[in-house]
Amino acid sequence: MAQLKLSNLAKHFGAAVAVEHVDLEVRDGELVALLGPSGCGKTTTLRMVAGFVEPTAGQILIGGKDVTHAPPYARDTGMVFQSYALFPHMSVAQNVAFGLEMRRMGRAEREQGVLEALKLVKLDHLAERLPRELSGGQQQRVALARALAVNPSVFLLDEPLSNLDAKLRSEVRLQIRSLQQRLGLTTLIVTHDQEEALTMADRLVVMDRGKVLQVGTAEELYERPANAFVAGFVGRCNLISGFVDPGGVFRTDWGGEFAVPQESAPGKAIFALRPERVALRPGTGHGIPGRISAITYLGSLSEYHVDVSGNSFLVSMPPPPNDSPLRCLKIGDQVSLTWDVAAVRLLPFEPSSNQGEEP
Amino acid sequence: MTITRRTMLTTGAAAMAAYTAGLPGVRAQSSQVVVGTWGGDYGQLLGDLIDKPIMKTKGGIEVLQDIANADPRKTKLLAEKQSRRGTMDVACLSDSDMYLTAQQDLFEPVTADKVSRMNAVFPNLQKAYAIPHIYSAQVVLYNPNKVNPAPKGFADLWDPKWRGRVGFSDILYSANTVAAALAGGGSLSNYGPSQKKLMELRSLDAKIYPSNEALAAALKSEEVWITVMWLARGFMWKKAGIPLEHVVPSEGAPAIVFEASIPKNSRNKDNAFKYLNAMLEPQAQIAFADKMGYVPTVKDAALPPDLAKQINLNEAERARLLQPDYDYAVKNNAAILDFWNKQFKA
Amino acid sequence: MAVLIVPASLLVLGLLVAPMLLMLRISLNQFSPTQMMIEAMSADNYIRAVTDPYYQQVLGTTLGIALLCTLLTLILGFPAAYWLARIESRWKSLITILTLFPLLVGNVVRSAGWMALLGNDGLINATLLWLGIISAPLKLMYTPQAVVIGIIAVVLPYMILTLASVIESIPRSVEEAAANLGARPGTVFRRVVLPLALPGVAAGSILVFVLCMNTYATAILLGGPQFKMMAPAVYDQFIRANNWPFGATLAFILLAITMIFTIVGSIGIARRYKR
Repeated sequence: MAQLKLSNLAKHFGAAVAVEHVDLEVRDGELVALLGPSGCGKTTTLRMVAGFVEPTAGQILIGGKDVTHAPPYARDTGMVFQSYALFPHMSVAQNVAFGLEMRRMGRAEREQGVLEALKLVKLDHLAERLPRELSGGQQQRVALARALAVNPSVFLLDEPLSNLDAKLRSEVRLQIRSLQQRLGLTTLIVTHDQEEALTMADRLVVMDRGKVLQVGTAEELYERPANAFVAGFVGRCNLISGFVDPGGVFRTDWGGEFAVPQESAPGKAIFALRPERVALRPGTGHGIPGRISAITYLGSLSEYHVDVSGNSFLVSMPPPPNDSPLRCLKIGDQVSLTWDVAAVRLLPFEPSSNQGEEP
Repeated sequence: MTITRRTMLTTGAAAMAAYTAGLPGVRAQSSQVVVGTWGGDYGQLLGDLIDKPIMKTKGGIEVLQDIANADPRKTKLLAEKQSRRGTMDVACLSDSDMYLTAQQDLFEPVTADKVSRMNAVFPNLQKAYAIPHIYSAQVVLYNPNKVNPAPKGFADLWDPKWRGRVGFSDILYSANTVAAALAGGGSLSNYGPSQKKLMELRSLDAKIYPSNEALAAALKSEEVWITVMWLARGFMWKKAGIPLEHVVPSEGAPAIVFEASIPKNSRNKDNAFKYLNAMLEPQAQIAFADKMGYVPTVKDAALPPDLAKQINLNEAERARLLQPDYDYAVKNNAAILDFWNKQFKA
Repeated sequence: MAVLIVPASLLVLGLLVAPMLLMLRISLNQFSPTQMMIEAMSADNYIRAVTDPYYQQVLGTTLGIALLCTLLTLILGFPAAYWLARIESRWKSLITILTLFPLLVGNVVRSAGWMALLGNDGLINATLLWLGIISAPLKLMYTPQAVVIGIIAVVLPYMILTLASVIESIPRSVEEAAANLGARPGTVFRRVVLPLALPGVAAGSILVFVLCMNTYATAILLGGPQFKMMAPAVYDQFIRANNWPFGATLAFILLAITMIFTIVGSIGIARRYKR
């Protein structure tokens, strides 16, 4: 059964549409990430679930109960705020105990609950500290413990990692994920970081301009993006608009001709190809000719920016071995690009598509 | 040890002097005269009737007004006493304030040699240290529509018929106490009977208003019908449309005189004497009477009959004018204020 | 940098400390009606002031009015300050300025307005009489209630702005977190907003209390001649009785009582806040 169900949820601020037609089910113990650029409506959606924003239309069910118009304190959600929102005048233990007090739990039971929650985040030794005496990472864990202590029906995380530095972020990401899986928490997380979403979530919801564009597992979104926005936002992608001619030829807007599967439907389309699916050879020959405009060495990967008739084409591959001719490539060198036509995806043409960037 | 002028300066007033003396920043030159006066109607009339027409036009002397209330002016006079060069050439104060200040030997003697118009001043208003500029008498004001027959004196305020209809101005506690003393058979040198009389009036529900203006409003709305007030102010209230008549009390009418004198450290004494003389000119005196209701202090300022009827005292009334006992008043001021606050108003 | 505080320090020293020391000295002198002051070193004035039932009562009235007004101002000011701190409107700065508007009018002028409203022939009585609800004017002026209303009208903006600036610094998410954990609005206020606003409550209350203790014009104009608070009593002694030593004594007692209450109050609040 779906622990959390949103039906046709919408929020308008005056004439401005923040969220529209959101349908989503989060199953028991599942972690779903709302992913999208800032202003896409993901945070508003989360705040509607928590009860801080009154929906304009639609319905929210938690554990099968309609809470669309219930006040926040009656919803049984546990939220971790982007700023942590710890009570600065209370100790760590008091912060964690707050939700238990509100549930009129007895003293002994409450202390037990606080201790367990703090142990989960390995902070039981700092119970008497004030929040301002803790590091950012520790504060974040207190916020987690505080939300976990009340054993909520739905766990809500609003950009929980955005205030941590990069190294800590990947560590905490794994901690949250393993806690969530161990405790079987039904979780909705908001993030703008696709890597965070891909590593943590069972399923992702990609949003843009208040609308849900696609819902699916990481693999589904990566391999079969529904449109250019998803393709560009989840992972990196070469996206080229143009026209499919009958017979498996894609004609780009600037006159290039790319091979695509024979059976592709003719008409306007967007050609999508992941950078790691492109092969690159020095010199001219078979394939699309181009010229290297930049090379980025990333350790496990090397990225080549290839200028094809004035358009940048991204190619990524493991760094070539020492004896490879690719090793000697430098900026300005002539190369040719080839790919397996099966790797090409043709996506519906969207005049306003801008590959995931805001206009 | 008493406060001599040295200790006064070193302890009490030095800081005050620093404030007040510095403020107007007026430095008199030889063709100038600095007059310490009140603002409002009084200062305005001085400017219109004396400063411009007489001093500037006829005498070529520039008059600078140093405007303040009486208290800062007193303090300034005391504080500047030690200094050779004072900042004020003429100081205007009420008779009791002037008396208090003159005790400190602050003022030039005023004689007919220096101020020729002194010869025209009514003899009973003449003083050695000041000229009397204008005066009025303390009378009973009543609402003729309500108070019938007309009262004769202060004692009529104690008539039980007027229970709850007697009003006083709180700031005139001193004059009110004097009226009570006179009603009880006391005098300006004996306030003794005032306490019993005030307590009687208290049990007759006398009303007390925080200011003269509040009292005027209460008279206008006929909330109260009878009070004790300066005749001059009664005249102005009548002009403002308040239904009022006055009677010069049978017990006698204490006088209030507004005076002017010259500090010993004035730097323009000649001009200052000319100014005092100008204040006693008949036309200026008549104009003050017309505008503010105060009576001329000189014999040769004949008021128009209509005006005279309203503000002047006839021979019989003039005979009932009472000269204040300043020494007694100054010594008892704190005590009557205490009684007024703690017993009468409690 | 230290040099920069010299002018302000000198100003405080010259304009505050020096006159106060002078006042302290004057309060030990003796009063003489003809000579103003007789130099002395005597505590007589203080003994008289604290043993005289009249001045005990004046001090009691002053303290009572000040404490009551501070409490009422706090109760009235908090919701307004909260609203002001939390609105998200482009008119916010305009509203803040409007809050300050009453302060643009002096106490005397404002009290005159209250007189026109509360007087026997004032707006309220005139309206009630005209409507036939009452047959004789109600006594609204010259009552302690009028003073309380008048004082609150003066000090409320100070309280609201002090509180609002502190409430603004409390992140909204902290309140949301409390609600999310199951706290109803009343509990959110009591457990989260109020404790975090305590520094503002302390600052605003102290500010307002000091202003109330020193009420002068409002007490005279709305309280009437029979209503005495300390500041008018000090004025009476200085200006009307010409008794500087006793006036200085009363002023010092007022200062000391105000300071004691302020210090005790802020220590109490600081202790609560620490906890």
